[in-house]
Amino acid sequence: MRGITSLIAVTLFSTGLFAQDKFYTKIGKISFYSEAIIENIEAHNRSVTCVLDTKTGNIQFAVQIKGFEFEKALMQEHFNENYLESDKYPRAIFKGQIVNNGDINYTQDGVSQGKVKGQLTIHGQTRDVEVNGKLTIQGNRILISSDFNIELPDYKIKNEKLQNISNKIKITVDCSLEPLKS
Amino acid sequence: MSRKTILLTVIVLAAMTGGVFICKQFNRRNPDLSNLKPAYVVQADELIKEFSNNDSSANLKYLGKIVSVEGKIKKIDRDQDGYYTVVLGDSTELSSVRCALDSTHMKDAAKLRPISSVRVKGYFTGFEKDETGLVGSDLKLNRCVIEKQNK
Repeated sequence: MRGITSLIAVTLFSTGLFAQDKFYTKIGKISFYSEAIIENIEAHNRSVTCVLDTKTGNIQFAVQIKGFEFEKALMQEHFNENYLESDKYPRAIFKGQIVNNGDINYTQDGVSQGKVKGQLTIHGQTRDVEVNGKLTIQGNRILISSDFNIELPDYKIKNEKLQNISNKIKITVDCSLEPLKS
Repeated sequence: MSRKTILLTVIVLAAMTGGVFICKQFNRRNPDLSNLKPAYVVQADELIKEFSNNDSSANLKYLGKIVSVEGKIKKIDRDQDGYYTVVLGDSTELSSVRCALDSTHMKDAAKLRPISSVRVKGYFTGFEKDETGLVGSDLKLNRCVIEKQNK
């Protein structure tokens, strides 16, 4: 009897029924890209924090604006001082929920499409957003990837000073989450 | 040489100097922090304490500054693209100082050993307050270089 109980426990554990609900990373990557007259603008932040609760579908991203790295220092300075005012607004945050969370099988390797609804705060301005993304379950990791566009005026980011970048910015999210050990 | 020729030569030279300056400014890269003096040299635990006591005044002090942080290596994270982050602090606490290494100094990560003490210099990018109560708050630095490693 004891042997059968152990066998059931091992089977349940390996199929993921006892698996962790919460996953996270602190080394996620968020990039952005914008077309500009003189030169296209691209920057990466490799220190993104993301926490996902697979039970509820709640998902949260946080990023430090000064953590975006550009190839050219002048662009980085303009980005921080003239556009994002990172001394005043040092973080960008997204808090939302995967609306089709019930359709995603977190216990089996595979790829699922996720629809996320939530609130994105950039430059001190909070807006409702709806974004599609891909969730790849790979062993005990969840890879999240998505790309979407934002408009600078929506977040009161002034583009009048130089007018040399597009108002439309493409954001790319790439995070590999691991189980959160409590 | 006529006055007109001298004036023209001065204008051309000034335009060329201006052009070179603008070009240099436009193409300027972020400097390697190895040779730059830090604004502050602090212990990782003290830095964490300073932020947990009053994060807004600590942010004013450190945000955007070059800071040298000394502390015990809790762990070394490597992302999917091979970039390293050295995590400093008390291993019994959730909060840490996270130092993302400069891409030109990645090979230095191979020399690091967890639990040993290290001094890392980097650009302070901010304080990530843990709002979930699950993952701990973090102080973040990027473009980091390893200054020294103690046994």
